[in-house]
Amino acid sequence: MGAAAGNVGVGWKSKDNPAGFPRIFAKLDPVPRLMLTSSSMTTDLRSRIAIWILSVVAVVTSSAAAAIAATPDTSTLPPAATRPVDFTREIRPILERSCLSCHGPEKQKGGFRVDSLPALIRGGETHAPAILPGNSANSAIIHLVAGLIPDSRMPAKGDPLSSAEISTLRAWIDQGAKAPDVAQVEEDPIRSHWAFRPVQAPAVPAVSVPAGAGANRTAAASNPIDAFVASRLMQDRLTPSPEADRVTLIRRLYFVMLGMPPSPEEVAAFVSDRKPLAFERLVDRVLDDPRYGERWARHWLDIVRFAESNGFETNRERLNAWRFRDYVIAAFNSDKPFDRFVREQIAGDALGVDVGTGFLVGGPVDIVGSPDPTLTLQQRADELDDMVSTTGTAFLGLTLGCARCHSHKFDPISHREYYSMVALFSGVRHGERALPLPAGRDAELKRIDSEMAGLERQLARFKEGANQTNGIPGSAAAATTLRPAVDFAINREEFPATEARWIRFTVLATTGSQPCLDELEVWSGNVNVALASRGTRATASGTLPGFAAHALEHINDGKYGNNFSWISSESGGGWVQLELAKPERIERVVWGRDREGAYRDRLPTDYRIEVATRTNEWRLVASSADREPLKTPVAKAKSKVPVYRFEGWSKAEAGEGRAALASLESLRKQRDVLAKSEMVYAGNFGSPGVTHRLHRGDPMSKREPVAPGTLAIFRPLNLSTNASEQERRVALADWIASPDNPLTARVIVNRIWQHQFGSGLVTTPNDFGRNGAKPTHPELLDWLASDLVSHGWSLKRLQRQILISATWRQSSRPRPDALRVDAGSRLLWRFPPRRLEAEGIRDTMLAVSGNLDRTAGGPAFYLHEVDRENVYHYQPKERFGPAESRRMIYAFKVRMEQDGIFGAFDCPDGSLVTPKRSVSTTPLQALNLFNSQFVLDEAEQFASRLRREAGGKVSAQIRRGWVLAYNREPDRREASDAAAFVASQGLPALCRAVLNSSEFVFIP
Amino acid sequence: MSNPMPALGSPMLNRRRFLGDAGIGLGSIALAHLLSRQGLLGATVSGLEPLRPAIEPGRPYAPRKSHFDPKAKNVLMIFCSGACSHLDTFDYKPELIRRHGMPMPGQEKLITFQGEQGALTRSPWEFKPRGKSGKMISELVPHLGALADEMCFIHSMQGKTNTHGPGENYMSTGNTLDGFPSLGAWATYALGSSDQSLPAYVAIPDHRGKPQNSVNNWAPGFLPAAFQGTEFNATRPIRNLSRPGSIASDRDSATRGFLQRLNEQHAARFPGDSELAARIASYELAARMQLTVPEVADLSNEPAHILKLYGADEGGSKILETRAAYARNCILARRLVEKGVRFVQVFNGAYQTGGEGVSNWDGHKDLLGQYSVHGPVLDKPTAALLIDLKQRGLLENTLVVWCTEFGRMPTFQKGSKGRDHNPSGFTTWMAGAGVKKGFSHGSTDEFGYKAVENIVTVHDFHATILHLLGLDHERLTYYHNGLERRLTDVDGQVVKNVLA
Repeated sequence: MGAAAGNVGVGWKSKDNPAGFPRIFAKLDPVPRLMLTSSSMTTDLRSRIAIWILSVVAVVTSSAAAAIAATPDTSTLPPAATRPVDFTREIRPILERSCLSCHGPEKQKGGFRVDSLPALIRGGETHAPAILPGNSANSAIIHLVAGLIPDSRMPAKGDPLSSAEISTLRAWIDQGAKAPDVAQVEEDPIRSHWAFRPVQAPAVPAVSVPAGAGANRTAAASNPIDAFVASRLMQDRLTPSPEADRVTLIRRLYFVMLGMPPSPEEVAAFVSDRKPLAFERLVDRVLDDPRYGERWARHWLDIVRFAESNGFETNRERLNAWRFRDYVIAAFNSDKPFDRFVREQIAGDALGVDVGTGFLVGGPVDIVGSPDPTLTLQQRADELDDMVSTTGTAFLGLTLGCARCHSHKFDPISHREYYSMVALFSGVRHGERALPLPAGRDAELKRIDSEMAGLERQLARFKEGANQTNGIPGSAAAATTLRPAVDFAINREEFPATEARWIRFTVLATTGSQPCLDELEVWSGNVNVALASRGTRATASGTLPGFAAHALEHINDGKYGNNFSWISSESGGGWVQLELAKPERIERVVWGRDREGAYRDRLPTDYRIEVATRTNEWRLVASSADREPLKTPVAKAKSKVPVYRFEGWSKAEAGEGRAALASLESLRKQRDVLAKSEMVYAGNFGSPGVTHRLHRGDPMSKREPVAPGTLAIFRPLNLSTNASEQERRVALADWIASPDNPLTARVIVNRIWQHQFGSGLVTTPNDFGRNGAKPTHPELLDWLASDLVSHGWSLKRLQRQILISATWRQSSRPRPDALRVDAGSRLLWRFPPRRLEAEGIRDTMLAVSGNLDRTAGGPAFYLHEVDRENVYHYQPKERFGPAESRRMIYAFKVRMEQDGIFGAFDCPDGSLVTPKRSVSTTPLQALNLFNSQFVLDEAEQFASRLRREAGGKVSAQIRRGWVLAYNREPDRREASDAAAFVASQGLPALCRAVLNSSEFVFIP
Repeated sequence: MSNPMPALGSPMLNRRRFLGDAGIGLGSIALAHLLSRQGLLGATVSGLEPLRPAIEPGRPYAPRKSHFDPKAKNVLMIFCSGACSHLDTFDYKPELIRRHGMPMPGQEKLITFQGEQGALTRSPWEFKPRGKSGKMISELVPHLGALADEMCFIHSMQGKTNTHGPGENYMSTGNTLDGFPSLGAWATYALGSSDQSLPAYVAIPDHRGKPQNSVNNWAPGFLPAAFQGTEFNATRPIRNLSRPGSIASDRDSATRGFLQRLNEQHAARFPGDSELAARIASYELAARMQLTVPEVADLSNEPAHILKLYGADEGGSKILETRAAYARNCILARRLVEKGVRFVQVFNGAYQTGGEGVSNWDGHKDLLGQYSVHGPVLDKPTAALLIDLKQRGLLENTLVVWCTEFGRMPTFQKGSKGRDHNPSGFTTWMAGAGVKKGFSHGSTDEFGYKAVENIVTVHDFHATILHLLGLDHERLTYYHNGLERRLTDVDGQVVKNVLA
């Protein structure tokens, strides 16, 4: 009865209620149970209530002064009745009739509800407390019902309370506002629920380890994990299983920690290692293996709903989101302290780890734009909800999202607090951001700049215009007077009519960021021949990904304004080219950044317009060279490129010049690469603005403004509304990553345990609230959590401790006696075997066939053909080659569309957070493994590998096959059976069967 | 763990029931709330214990009991992707004809998905009375019109998003966001299937491609992958279904046999571990599907008069060929229902090359031109499907549902000859098992802009379909990420009025 009061009627588990669904909903009782007598309470509970009542009294007393100060004239109040008043008979009917419809379970206007006594006494957002027990004359609720507060008579609808009713209500308050039968209903969730209490390391139980624990009894006795597990097993008279054999151990270790099996050589070395602590040393090697990060990052990416496409119907690609995936892999491999890992994902920009905030915007986003304001607000509200909810589940194991429309039904998360959390993220926008240049890059750039300057000096005499006038339009030399500076709205470029099939607009510098053109018109007489509707095709150097409003198609769609514009993917540069349906005689090009005049950024300031009638025979028709400079800061991606002419110089001089120019060009290219910031889909940060509470979560129903803050469950963070955007996230990160936060360490310890054993100590890893499951081993969870924090939040250390425990090293063989008591092996009388996940199966096939490409990191490979229409469609590939032979974590993670083979193995698509994958067994999985070209190809490759490594003898091939695929030798029957099969059906057929077999895909 | 306070098991009511009661006076029911702990109402709270089906690992499609006697055993859903206009098909609005060319009163400044609205615009197709019921249905769908006496219309549907992706998510999964299980996944999770050699849930995409929101429409979401709709149509078979061409048949079956021996020996080392038995069973089921699915998808033994009825034998023009392809998908759907497949979803319309309105119902620009293609393609084969199901007696236990993600505006868009998105009011219909015939429920306002009478939300619509399958939408739950999730979220009320 450890957590009596925290457990009032909800959340306990039993055999027929495995997830601990609240029994309070068990059945609909036709006659509501009204009475709750104190005799049904335990002493523990009674004392808790006493404490609670004291704290209420304290609150009342401290706020009494304020309440009294605001007291209106009470002389007109009906006097309190003098008889004893019974709550159930006299007060409740009044509340039901006059208050409940607005201040009850359905609505809580003003944050006030009367359906629980503490809430009734506490009051709402104003007029709190509503009741001062013993002092009706000064109780706000009396002032409200008596109409003493101007314009706030309650009830707002329906008949006012009669004088007699007010008298009764006053008497009840004066008699102490007691409701003996209901008072206990609301307990204090913060103190009573196990997961909200501070983590304290419990004492390790002293248990004598049963003989069953086998060879490793010394380790078992000394590892606290085993003591906790054994003590719990004993309660059910269960005993642990003996240690698994070494082959099983190393295979399990590799599958669980690296996601693929050991090589036969690694197995042999371990099996023959007779020195003490052989397994411990193996664990150390495995934790240092870079495959560890690739395996464990996958688990984290599920938890943070990471994917590389936007989702919803457009589902565009995020071409640099992979940097976040690589960041997570590196974080695991380098054993980044978990508190640091938390901070970097929420506020990495403040810590010099920009890529970390890929977490914030890792979720889906609906980029379909519309002039309909409701839609836009709803989309934004959904984005923010995704950030708040994912932060809640990933780090705190709390379903914050439940409080979007109303206060949380089970946990102490109010509707208002939800919006305080929203305010923490309200300056975060989806999109990609430039990463700062790496350290040392500046010096390198300076060196190149000075070298380039030297070469430019050498070349000065060859510069166009220096000693000649070549007459090219737009060149400074040809222009007598300068044209006005470029204009944000519209620019007309006129030139003598000329034949053209292609028109190219090249941007060399902008007022900042990637250039934007809302329309590029090419006029032939009074016809704009550039329009796509006339068959003109647009291409570009690159288009800013992820924005439907800025897709290339807008360059010639005839629509003006920012919402129908093209933005280049390159900061300060890029080109766009139009190919007309047929050659036309053109005389004017018209362009602008925003014809509607709303935007004054991204304007090309240095540009060239060229035309061609045949490919690659470009003629310059206009440029910025003859314009006044724009009087705003100009971002230059490349310095303006002068033209050099070597005609008319002596051969030697021209040769020298050409050589200098070649060096200059090569340096320039080098510089362009070095100066280019890498981009990452890690969000953009702007002004947070004012966040409002949204009534029932409806973005059109704005209520009062809400300041940024966190939950009251633990040292609530209350920031000022003036807090800067970054300050908000930094504060949140610190709040979550605090060693005193009761949830953070417990939640991550449970996740680690879950992926090491297949199931967590808490089976609801994203819900540590009152509706979640209770831990099977609460003391063990707390011991591990406290140990994690006191050892610098090192996950590798935590994992090592679990791996070397006798509990983890047990055999997985089922035992009928134990199965009868604990079929799910939740009490860990054995190691629970399980199927590998989708990625593990694919990686293992490639590893065993010898085809695995171990290249780590970088842009993804694709498991789909991508149909890049306005709406992107992804068709699963049917044939795969070397390009698709890397580990599956490096596959482009698409939302919605699954891989055609392994998707069926419960592979989540990152649309929602997935704290725990379901493990289903379906005929489609069987079809995919048995019939797909991929598996057939791997079987062929596996067969060739066996021939290569084992020679021509079938028995040797079979032995090698077993050792590669199962890490063990075949027994005699298997060997002869397999030999007979190979004789009739061939080696590839054997390999196909092995790759499909249960043993191949099970973690033993 | 003992329960110290059994008295706190006070009954909870769902919020809608609460409100309903609130309307007629609180009475004693509200007492329950007064006693309730803060916030125990809503979320997944149904007032009843959730009924989570017990799934045998090896037989995910084994038939399972419904909560109460079902009216329908199977569901055949026809989904018009792109948002089919109710105003040009089934929702007759004489006032729209009278006020043709005038602005919509009170909505002059209205901004919808693509922007400003022009004038009220009558349908280019005339409405005529059909059947004994005299139901007014447009000339765009005359074959369906002729079956008006079989159909049960809901004219007061209301969505909550005007964007295709979220809209299709909403109609197919009950949530506008990505990642939630589809209606068919819920139904097969609850009920399994009566046939054990075919998938329990089949999604038949249009031959032109997938719908706007693609596989989300038949996604398993957080339900086990077993309940994902299996995707194939009359043109494209199930991926990886057939024996690879490079493998001879006898080698294929010998390999299957050898694999089975490997798996049985392995399972023998783990007696009692049902997952391993399940895996063996899954290969057996796969082998059966390999035989039965091509058989059911092979339309070559359909008699000529059936092909003719559906228009599956026609050709010679783009429209007729498109119609014939859709018709073959309709025949396939009938064959699957005939075999006992629990849930079949047929899509009409695809998001494909060519953009909006070209291969789906998204008629923004040229309603007349676009719907002159989509109407005929939908009309004859869908009508034939109803006729065919009826003549085979399949309508007795099959519920046919026709739907789309939302409706369209009674106005034309400013400067355009088409209608913009409109989730405020649209039409769906049902036919067959358990629903009234020749009946219309609810209505939109005089122009067909907003549902005004007996509004039916998408949650209500789903609740009704589950009800017809014998399932209580409030009790069919699955725990995910901290919540007992339902198809109908925290809402939904069975539309009793449409039940036969």
